[in-house]
Amino acid sequence: MHDNFRRCPPITDLIEYFTSNFTFILGYTWDHIKLVGLAIIIAIVIGVPLGIYCSVNRYAASTILQIASIMMTIPSLALFGIMIPVLSLINEGIGTLPAVIALVLYSQLPIIRNTYTAISNVDPDIRDAANGIGLTTFQRLYKVELPNAMPLIMAGIRTATVLNIGVGAIATLIGAGGLGGIIYQGILRTNNTMILAGAIAVAVLALIADLFLRLIENLFTPKGVKK
Amino acid sequence: MIHFNDVTKVYNGNVKAIENMNFTVEDGELVIMLGPSGCGKTTLLRMVNQLESITDGDIMLNGKSVRHSNKIEMRRNIGYVIQSNGLFPNMNIEDNAMIVPNLLGWDRKKMRDRFNMLMELVGLNPDEYRKRYPHELSGGQQQRVGVARALAADPPVMLMDEPFGALDPIIRTHLQEEFLQIQKELKKTILFVSHDIDEAVKMADKIALLKGGKMMQYAEPARMLNKPANSFVAEFVGQDRVLKSMSLYTVRDLANALTLKPVIESPDSQNINENLSLRVAISKILNQEADQLIVENDNGTRKGSITLDLIEQFLHREIKESV
Repeated sequence: MHDNFRRCPPITDLIEYFTSNFTFILGYTWDHIKLVGLAIIIAIVIGVPLGIYCSVNRYAASTILQIASIMMTIPSLALFGIMIPVLSLINEGIGTLPAVIALVLYSQLPIIRNTYTAISNVDPDIRDAANGIGLTTFQRLYKVELPNAMPLIMAGIRTATVLNIGVGAIATLIGAGGLGGIIYQGILRTNNTMILAGAIAVAVLALIADLFLRLIENLFTPKGVKK
Repeated sequence: MIHFNDVTKVYNGNVKAIENMNFTVEDGELVIMLGPSGCGKTTLLRMVNQLESITDGDIMLNGKSVRHSNKIEMRRNIGYVIQSNGLFPNMNIEDNAMIVPNLLGWDRKKMRDRFNMLMELVGLNPDEYRKRYPHELSGGQQQRVGVARALAADPPVMLMDEPFGALDPIIRTHLQEEFLQIQKELKKTILFVSHDIDEAVKMADKIALLKGGKMMQYAEPARMLNKPANSFVAEFVGQDRVLKSMSLYTVRDLANALTLKPVIESPDSQNINENLSLRVAISKILNQEADQLIVENDNGTRKGSITLDLIEQFLHREIKESV
């Protein structure tokens, strides 16, 4: 039985697996996209404003970034594990909710840090001109700072997304579904073809997501800011 | 009118950046604040539009205290130009130049007309630059747009922080001259920071020379050059101050004050226009380009000739008068 693990499956097995289980894999992929997509949207809604807040309050910045860093150092398996007893209190110990929460926490560091750095790095002369011309703080933020910070903010979101697609594979252990399910089943059945197929699907999804976000980034970055 | 009334700025409770500053920039005047680094000239400028707070005293802008004005509203009524132009990279040239009118809610038609007019004024083709972005322009072009942006909502007062400081000497000279032409037409009340004495002599109606947060002398360029108030002023304006003061006069000024010498036909003579600066005229003589400079008016009519002693005579007279 253990010999099975040592044997690398021939590429024909892999192709065979993909073609005969196409709809099955697609279903898992769709679950994965929903899980990560939901987590990233929530992470952006929380992380970008926090990053902006950090850029105006240096004192809060160090605390917030430290907490986000600590989140990142917790091993993903442990983070999912911690969610079970905490959320069991509201009967949501396993499933989508704990997985989404864990992924949101995981994405905070790249999103907050990139937003904070991007806005802090806007040329001080440009900020000075914006103030001197008579822009309010809010006008300065959305007319000048955010558009100029856009490439770096989007880079943070891309990092978080790719990271979440990888970490999301582990979420299957707490019953959240997704491509991790194929890998996990492969491990249980000592089926290397399944393990590899799941891993490849995760990697391809990450690459496609990155490409897709690059397109979005291109769409949102003002022409004058593109180099 | 900008009136500084006992203005004091103290940092961290004890570092005095500006001490009891009192002076007035009259309507339509261009005043240049000059001084070594750290003298407080930029701080003083930034106190006018409240980018720096005032510790003590007050600045009156057209009779209104800046300390008690709404900052945002006030800033929109002041043209602000900085050395690095501060154009917004994310906006095209038209949006950059029209940002204040846009904030003030002007309609499209009015903004377009204003943009076209201002771009012509600063010497750029409006249609060629409208949709371009700041990084596609040269430093000189960017600064022209910077000036257009400051003039956009036709503010009565302008603050300029070394606007031409980052440009190469040839472009700088061009922009200085063009800006003087614009100012002749628009008659804005301008407070201008510079560290370049030649720029100040050339452009200013009055120069405010600062050192260590204190006013050393506040006077017309000719007076400052010919009659420095103290040894610091004398040193700052330079030992060649008499030569510098000559750029304040044209050959016509000399011709109006003194009788020109008759023209002697000789191969060593050169024709000059009466609008030429006296500084250039004397350098032509010293450079031995010609023994005799024949003065012509715009129609080419000869008015006479000038020589070294005539210039000397004129300078003595002017220095006596300005004192």
